[in-house]
Amino acid sequence: MKHLRIGALLSAILVVAAACTGTPAKSSTTLVVALPGDIVRTDSMLTDDSNSSYVIQQVVEGLVGLAPGSTSEIVPVLATALPTVSKDGLTYTFKLREGVKFHDGTDFNAAAVVYNYERFRTVPDALQEYSYYTGAVFGGFGDASNLESATAVDDYTVKIKLRTVSSNFVLTQTLPVFGIQSPTALALGLADNSETDITKITGAQGGAGAMVGTGPFKFSSWVEGDSVEIVRNDTYWNTAAIAKLEAVIFKPVAEETQRVNGLADGTYDLVQVIAPADVATIAANTGLQAIDRGSSFNIFCLQMNQTYAPVSNPMIREAIAYAIDKESLIQTFYAGAADVAKNWMPMNVQYALDLELPTYDPAKAMELIAASGETDLTIDFWYPNDVTRPYMPDPKGLFEAISAQLEAVGFTVVAHDAKWRSGYLDQEAAGAYEMWLLGWTGDWAGPDNFLSTAFFHYVDGKPSPEFAYKNDKLDATMAAALAATSDAQAKKLWEKAQNLIRADLPTVPIANSKPQAGASIDVKGFVGSAGLNEYLNLVYLDRTGN
Amino acid sequence: MARYIIRRLLAAIPVLLGLSLVLFAYIRLLPGDPCVAILGQHRTVESCAKLREHLGLDLPLWQQYVNYLTQTLSGDFGNSVINALPFTQEFTVRFPGTLELTIGALIFAIGAGIPLGRLAARRVGGWADGLITGISLFGVSIPVFVLGLALAVIFGVALGWLPTQGRIDAHFRFDSITGFLLIDTLLAGRPDYFVDAVRHLILPSIALGSIPLAIITRITRASVIEVANEDYVRTARAKGLAGKKVDQRHVMRNAWLPVTTVIGLQVGSLLGGAVLTETVFVWNGVGRWVVDAIENHDYPIIQSTILVFAAFFLIVNLLVDIGYAFLNPRIRY
Amino acid sequence: MIMRGALVDPVMASAPSGLWRDALRRLRRNRLAMIGVACMTLFFAAAILAPVIAPYASNDMSGPSLSGPSAAHLFGTDLLGRDVFSRVLYGAQISLFVGVFAVVLALIIGTTFGAIAGGYGGRVDGIIMRATDVLLSIPTILLAIGIVTWLGQGLPQLVLAIAVGYAPVFARLLRGSLLALREADYVIAARTIGGSNSRILMRHMLPNALTPLIVQATLVLATAIIDIAGLGFLGLGPADPRTPEWGTMLVDARRFMQTAPHIVFFIGGAIVISAIGFNLLGDGLRESLDPKLKR
Repeated sequence: MKHLRIGALLSAILVVAAACTGTPAKSSTTLVVALPGDIVRTDSMLTDDSNSSYVIQQVVEGLVGLAPGSTSEIVPVLATALPTVSKDGLTYTFKLREGVKFHDGTDFNAAAVVYNYERFRTVPDALQEYSYYTGAVFGGFGDASNLESATAVDDYTVKIKLRTVSSNFVLTQTLPVFGIQSPTALALGLADNSETDITKITGAQGGAGAMVGTGPFKFSSWVEGDSVEIVRNDTYWNTAAIAKLEAVIFKPVAEETQRVNGLADGTYDLVQVIAPADVATIAANTGLQAIDRGSSFNIFCLQMNQTYAPVSNPMIREAIAYAIDKESLIQTFYAGAADVAKNWMPMNVQYALDLELPTYDPAKAMELIAASGETDLTIDFWYPNDVTRPYMPDPKGLFEAISAQLEAVGFTVVAHDAKWRSGYLDQEAAGAYEMWLLGWTGDWAGPDNFLSTAFFHYVDGKPSPEFAYKNDKLDATMAAALAATSDAQAKKLWEKAQNLIRADLPTVPIANSKPQAGASIDVKGFVGSAGLNEYLNLVYLDRTGN
Repeated sequence: MARYIIRRLLAAIPVLLGLSLVLFAYIRLLPGDPCVAILGQHRTVESCAKLREHLGLDLPLWQQYVNYLTQTLSGDFGNSVINALPFTQEFTVRFPGTLELTIGALIFAIGAGIPLGRLAARRVGGWADGLITGISLFGVSIPVFVLGLALAVIFGVALGWLPTQGRIDAHFRFDSITGFLLIDTLLAGRPDYFVDAVRHLILPSIALGSIPLAIITRITRASVIEVANEDYVRTARAKGLAGKKVDQRHVMRNAWLPVTTVIGLQVGSLLGGAVLTETVFVWNGVGRWVVDAIENHDYPIIQSTILVFAAFFLIVNLLVDIGYAFLNPRIRY
Repeated sequence: MIMRGALVDPVMASAPSGLWRDALRRLRRNRLAMIGVACMTLFFAAAILAPVIAPYASNDMSGPSLSGPSAAHLFGTDLLGRDVFSRVLYGAQISLFVGVFAVVLALIIGTTFGAIAGGYGGRVDGIIMRATDVLLSIPTILLAIGIVTWLGQGLPQLVLAIAVGYAPVFARLLRGSLLALREADYVIAARTIGGSNSRILMRHMLPNALTPLIVQATLVLATAIIDIAGLGFLGLGPADPRTPEWGTMLVDARRFMQTAPHIVFFIGGAIVISAIGFNLLGDGLRESLDPKLKR
């Protein structure tokens, strides 16, 4: 009978397929990495997100970088040593490595470095929005850029001249954004600042001229939304660190459960960030390992904007700080893998102090509210509805729990949500939100990166609309600290700045999380870094365990 | 026949025009300044100017509509506001994935639905009939994503039988020629990769195919019962034709007709269901992409995906109707 | 999301008025339909009586995080320690509210246009039918997604998004019935004695075209409940995340599918039972209302 035949065929297919659990042996030369999201562009300079940086740092190298596993130890990469600084603190001289070639065969030399730094300085107007860090680090572009010039002294010596002293300069140059790419490729990819239409810059869109650096891996392909592939650079200049893997494939997987399930079934070898709740699942699986990245390099805060009542009232902000049970949030949402925040930056950042912030005390919160004189206790509270961040594993859940704690002491919370990329970041930065959830993962381990870049900087001499937090003394102190020429002076000024912020409690720091990586036990040689400066050329796969 | 096809093609034109009008209005009637609404935080003076030019916002409405039509007909479906890449480029990369999944679901639905429907019809009122009716009821009542999650956890995570994510093991490296992995793996001369792609296809196909399976089962059952009671079948049996022959020659040939129509109508819901299925199974297809577009309020992508899906639906139904005409000798056009 | 093509035979619309009593009797004898009625009653009871039955308020963080079913928490608790049983009950309210209003709205829109098309025919009919073709060519879930992203999230938006997807189904159904009825004896009779067009439509044709609409409405309610959950699953549910909407709850619960699978099971079960209820009742109604299907 026909239907029986079809049925038999069907079940036969099912049986065969199901029986074929012994699929082709897993390649031990290709590593599949799950990232929380897709890369955005393939040009280091035109990138400001952590997924793109994670991939690009495997391919493109800068003059200096961070030592594996560290967030603050600066090591020379394409420079032979850390730069020498002139007496006035304005001119940095880099000696370059000789005999290095870009992946396209172009020579790496002083001319290439000058070409790249000129590019950082002269980003055209239309592209500046895509190049956040060049603007943020150098304070602007063109004549407004703190980067005055880059000049070749000889073939392998470069002088970089700044307009004003900036004690964080060398540290900021470890950012993948400041990677050195082949001038030939940049021109080929129209990424030489001549083309201002981002869609036509093939170098940034994964086409011709994309991601041509000097690193241990070469860019191979990008299928948007599906995968990025990089392959080994067999002629890497650092012969001791030639990649052990033939290829690395990055897959964007937004859903945390899917990342951990994919790890369990062998779809992925390495998952960049796993949800805190999944650490236990991984620990229970003998085929998997959770990789601790050591101390935290991020901060999660309950943010407030002083344009709005009642959070404009300092007593109300203090009451809010007392109303929040940080310990219970850390237990529920971070599975304990976080520290209660003691500051607006993680404790491993230079000069960080324990500021003895308010701890959970609802009675005290209610007293403060009563004493504040505020009668309308309605707060508009926003959270992002489509992302998780390393410092914020479950924004919606955190919103619900924090709302409940606020309502328990007498506030009324009005819920709002927005999409992370299209709305949330835009709106909160513009000052449209009264209260919202946001944190920061460090770019470099200087206090300026958190206290100023991330939070309380001034824009055009006025408080940024984000927090509407006016404290001219703080602004002046931070500026002075950044221009400080001695370490002792910098320390004194940054400590003063922290105490100024503590006195005003503009926002409520909640937690420093320790996002872990997950991996198959076959993955060896992976060195985790709290700042996600992780170099996959050190990684190899040992499938013999299976 | 040719006249029939031409007539049907002509009849699709007003529908597509109407659709284009709706989608044209969709983008124009977004609340607020279209530049802010469409580009959101990605706007710059330059990108706004470009968008205005592309949409022709300064022109009278009718002219904007004519422009939109000409652009669409010339293959310009707009660009993503997130990465500014053209819709067509992005769509062509992902559509094979969706098509492969949809076909997988249809094969599952037809391959299982027709035998089940016939079995139920043969034993009307029996326990098999009851069970099959129950299954089909469950099939239409369980949301695709609930079934998908359940299948993934049971057969993927707990039993470890089948993969639950993606279209193929990412460790495999081979050239993508057609975008259809079932074809590309064979072109690459890797039957082992092909098997892996098939294994990846099984769970999503079952999840997505559950609704058409239920409906095809029902329809097959009903039409087999109905046809079996027709005079010509009774006559055939009375003439002493073997049960098997009657089955093949008379019952099934006629029972196929309503089933064909249902398949055509199901293509729309399959494409809709693909949006959810692809999300559950991390399937790189149009569905997952359009969910991203929704999250990013990427209106040009949403607009054009709807247009293309609808056009696809109309074409498939046209093909089904033509096939129907072939299958049914009583219909003459 | 599913089977939007009208599955109801318009011919049954011409049934005589005694049909309802007959139908009810037949329906009562239909075992499956009665199971449907039971499921449906459960769903309505859960929704309406939620404030009475539910042991906790929907956002009361009353228990430990992610505990299994117990006497204190029948369905266990979620990550925040909220009672899943209470949330499922309150969730029925959302599904019922959105589902019923969406179907009613779809009926109003659909029958209005269907009546105009079927009652007047001609060019109006042509335009309305092409318009339904346009809407039917877009997968319902995509249409709903388009509308919700357009109007923003919220219950009224959900109602509208679902309604627009199903209105064409009702419009076509009613039009089909009316076309069949135009040739019915009593309509011709009414016309010969000089009844006005609209009077004939309202007095004679519409009441007789109601039955297939009712059947279809019941079936659509089942798919509407699934669609609402689907939108919630895609993050397009009610604006306040604390609202206990089933699809939204499922997304949250999915993350604990391995450690606390019972949550997904109970929420998924609630959706399936409600949908089965309306599907069974719809099928039962159709069979009992259609004298042709007596076997």
